[in-house]
Amino acid sequence: MQLSARFKNAGESLKRTGKQMRKNYAAYLFLLPKLILFTLFIAIPVVWAFLLSFQEYQIIEANTFAGIDNYLKVFQSEAFRQALLNTTIYTVVTVPFNVITALIAASLIHSLGRFAQNFFRAAFYLPTVTSMVIIAMVWRWMYNYEFGLFNHVMGWFGMEPINWLGQTDSALWAIIIMQMLIPFGVGIILYMASMSSISDSLYEAATIDGANAFQKWLKITIPMLTPSTVYLTLLSTIGSFQVFTQIILMTGGGPGYATETLVHLIYKTGFRDFEFGLAAAQSVVLFVIIFIISVLQYKVLNRNK
Amino acid sequence: MKGKMKLFVMMLLAISFVLVLSACGDDSDGETGEDGEWTGKITIWDGPRWAKEGDTSGEEGKGNQYFWLEEKIEEFEKDHPGVEIELVQVPWAEMPDKLGVNIAGQSWPDIAPVDISGSAVSIDHIDQGVIEPLNDFFTEEELGDFYENALDAYTYNDKLYGIPNSITVHSMLLNLDLFEEAGATVPENGEWTWDEFVEAAEKLTFDRDGDGEIDVYGFSTYILPGYYEAWPFFYMNGGQPLSDDLTEFTFDSPEAIEAIQALADIKLKHEAAPVSMGGADVGGTFQAWASEEQRTVAMEPWATWAISSAQTAYPTNFMVANYPTGSSGEPVTIGGVGGWTMFKQDSDAKKEVVAEFMKSISDTDEQFLMSQSYGIFPARISAAEMDPFAENPEMARAQEMSEQVVMLPRHPEWKKIDEIIQRELQLVFNGEKTAEEAMATAKPEVEALLGE
Repeated sequence: MQLSARFKNAGESLKRTGKQMRKNYAAYLFLLPKLILFTLFIAIPVVWAFLLSFQEYQIIEANTFAGIDNYLKVFQSEAFRQALLNTTIYTVVTVPFNVITALIAASLIHSLGRFAQNFFRAAFYLPTVTSMVIIAMVWRWMYNYEFGLFNHVMGWFGMEPINWLGQTDSALWAIIIMQMLIPFGVGIILYMASMSSISDSLYEAATIDGANAFQKWLKITIPMLTPSTVYLTLLSTIGSFQVFTQIILMTGGGPGYATETLVHLIYKTGFRDFEFGLAAAQSVVLFVIIFIISVLQYKVLNRNK
Repeated sequence: MKGKMKLFVMMLLAISFVLVLSACGDDSDGETGEDGEWTGKITIWDGPRWAKEGDTSGEEGKGNQYFWLEEKIEEFEKDHPGVEIELVQVPWAEMPDKLGVNIAGQSWPDIAPVDISGSAVSIDHIDQGVIEPLNDFFTEEELGDFYENALDAYTYNDKLYGIPNSITVHSMLLNLDLFEEAGATVPENGEWTWDEFVEAAEKLTFDRDGDGEIDVYGFSTYILPGYYEAWPFFYMNGGQPLSDDLTEFTFDSPEAIEAIQALADIKLKHEAAPVSMGGADVGGTFQAWASEEQRTVAMEPWATWAISSAQTAYPTNFMVANYPTGSSGEPVTIGGVGGWTMFKQDSDAKKEVVAEFMKSISDTDEQFLMSQSYGIFPARISAAEMDPFAENPEMARAQEMSEQVVMLPRHPEWKKIDEIIQRELQLVFNGEKTAEEAMATAKPEVEALLGE
């Protein structure tokens, strides 16, 4: 009896859904082109790539089933471990720094007049719309040992020049410093928008209670911006794990493997070595790593909610 | 969730999308008539070469650098009614990546100007049947007109996988103004020993304005996977990266170790090279030698293209010299061979037409013209005998070096082997490892690949 009741409920639920769909058919019709494109260019390739990670890719002949060989190769690869370590260091340093500096910059700009706000908003957003290729080329010049800006300035203070991109102990940090000094434009804009939506009454109440500006920032602004912080941290983490352009243009992953990163390694595996099965496996592993990190970040940053 | 999906797509889409496109890679767009004549479309890729004299059209004022091939296509189409040849213009820097993506998607062109050394097309592609052998389209007599090393460069398992149309060598370029300023001895006829080279490099390293800072360095080069400007030095004592039968890593031999360390010591011990020597900055290294605003380095090794660049875009008072000789006593250089390769064809009739066109753009007259206009050495003996460099002594001198050429090992895993070696070389040149330590690290990794 219980089973037939369940079937009955399920049937009714389906009917309701069908009725609902008929009612909103125009909306579904509008969504259809996007859905078709999504299926063709995202869903199918993603599933295909996942399947490819279990195959040995052949250009002309049919691919052969490789079981978990590609995944074993990924985990046994010293280059992958080094790339994972480099990418993790890059992410762990740049993400908190970028999010915190975006918060501070947005807080400072928010208190300024309209003209100044617009000016700084545009100025900080400019690098976001500038090609990373251009930025990387400029920074490569700034890091030049003989006539780069950094060594030149260090020379004024009697400091020894540094072979920024040429030594294993400084190359990755040079890339990290570059990323840290590029303003996180999206973060600043988003934080400023969120700040505008915080109710003035909260600040007024805090003022009556005798809170100073810093206390208000700490106890009201930051907690109220938590959703933005979570979003920006996730966004920034995902972006950092995909670091590629700077690497290919500034160091090529060297010296040695000092600046090898995961996406650069995947690119080489796929498009230089034509080992698409292995590259797909590397991509899936990267996806799983980022998925886990993102879930953890989301849970930790939202724990007080 | 949306963000994660986007990431997943970013990682996987690039790899899988080209495979989705493979359905589009149909090259059978043609038909064979009752007379056996094939008609249809042929696709050829080429990079910019040279423009007609006085042509300054185009955004950068460089003129139409594809006119030569366009004219050859027009001629061929006129002689072969029904055959249409589409020229796809691809900047040289984009050629390997673009071709790689198209090969992965099985949407390759019929003809492309690439060699089989690995930068765009590799032995692995030949093994997988992507490249067509061309032996059937040449008689022994015709092949006899090509330099042997040019044919060797396109030969694998006794089959010819391309038509060589040019030879390039690496040579030492010496800034003669800086030699004069420093009072350094110019090597007679560009021939010198390692000791003479070191002496010159030290003399060419000087403080021009007396401020205590070095303004000019004797020598520089860079180390990067896929680039071989520095490598002839490593061969100078008789060393080579792999054994002749390609089963052993031999850059850890005393001859090779000594040569690698000696070159690194030009910077580390003799201080006759800038700190950036051995880095990965190709453009910056060339600018340091060629750019009028810099010229902070007196000697650099470069491939043939740099000679014509120093004669045109960066007018420099320079000479071409051999790489210095080491204990082997023989000058050595690394060579490269350019030419045309034919990609897999479904129809034998089309293959014949494609081969005919390839031959028409690689004959003696065309190679002679290309040598004069484009600054490369002809791969045909008959074209070289026409003396294309009668009025270009620098190119003529570099051409003499063709006899010193050694080719890189022809191994299916060469790209990976090259990366392992070059990564270790970078650590030698920045002083973090000795040549012996670096090559000892590379050995097991390389031999694991050789054993596969």
